Amino acid sequence: MPKLCLFTLCLFLHATAFGAAVGEAAPDFTLPDLFQKTSNNGAISLNDYRGKVVYLDFWASWCAPCLVSIPLINELRNKYKNEAFEVLAVNVDTDPEDGIDFLYDHPVDYPVVSDPEGLSPALYELIGMPTSFLIDAEGTIRLVHVGFKLSDIDMIEAELVELLEASK
Amino acid sequence: MKKTLLLLTLCVAPLILSACTPVAAWERGYLARNEMAIDSDPMEKSLNNHIYFSKEASNGGNSASGGGCGCN
Repeated sequence: MPKLCLFTLCLFLHATAFGAAVGEAAPDFTLPDLFQKTSNNGAISLNDYRGKVVYLDFWASWCAPCLVSIPLINELRNKYKNEAFEVLAVNVDTDPEDGIDFLYDHPVDYPVVSDPEGLSPALYELIGMPTSFLIDAEGTIRLVHVGFKLSDIDMIEAELVELLEASK
Repeated sequence: MKKTLLLLTLCVAPLILSACTPVAAWERGYLARNEMAIDSDPMEKSLNNHIYFSKEASNGGNSASGGGCGCN
């Protein structure tokens, strides 16, 4: 009986390993383009960008800090677009039309994919919205950033420059 | 022994069989809508507070803070 109790208690002791922590390989996914305009039936994979530093941004039209982050990220992307850097945004709106409407008001120059079922956020084990990941050219996560305020862009840019230098 | 085990099972079973599931951070779209907030209209909130004060002769204790995006 005491052995059984001990065994049962031990079932509650388990290490919570986040699947998307710094230093881990970024899980691959393939999702349709939000605007369905790219080739390959409109599907984009994260691994398509292997060899480039990728800023993976999970956002939604209902997420207030995204109003701040998206124009800043677009600026950052255009500033470094001649380098081996790309931004890949995943829109998690349950109705992709909401994401499209948002982008008509705040257009961006980088690829945006749509995941209304929330498969990739679950894969990356997001704890808040927005969450962004800086992934290096080998596909390893280097930065996990939850939430967004104006001053965060400087920190992200500094980390990005570091990664670009390292991959040269 | 059997009684204790039965009692324990009856106590633990409701915890296991309950259907409480947290809303994931990326599923909070509907919760972020204005109509889902307790006080989205300041005028309506002010009116409700006034009515409450008038009836209860006291006020307060009815506000909530925090964003709907799961980031705080």
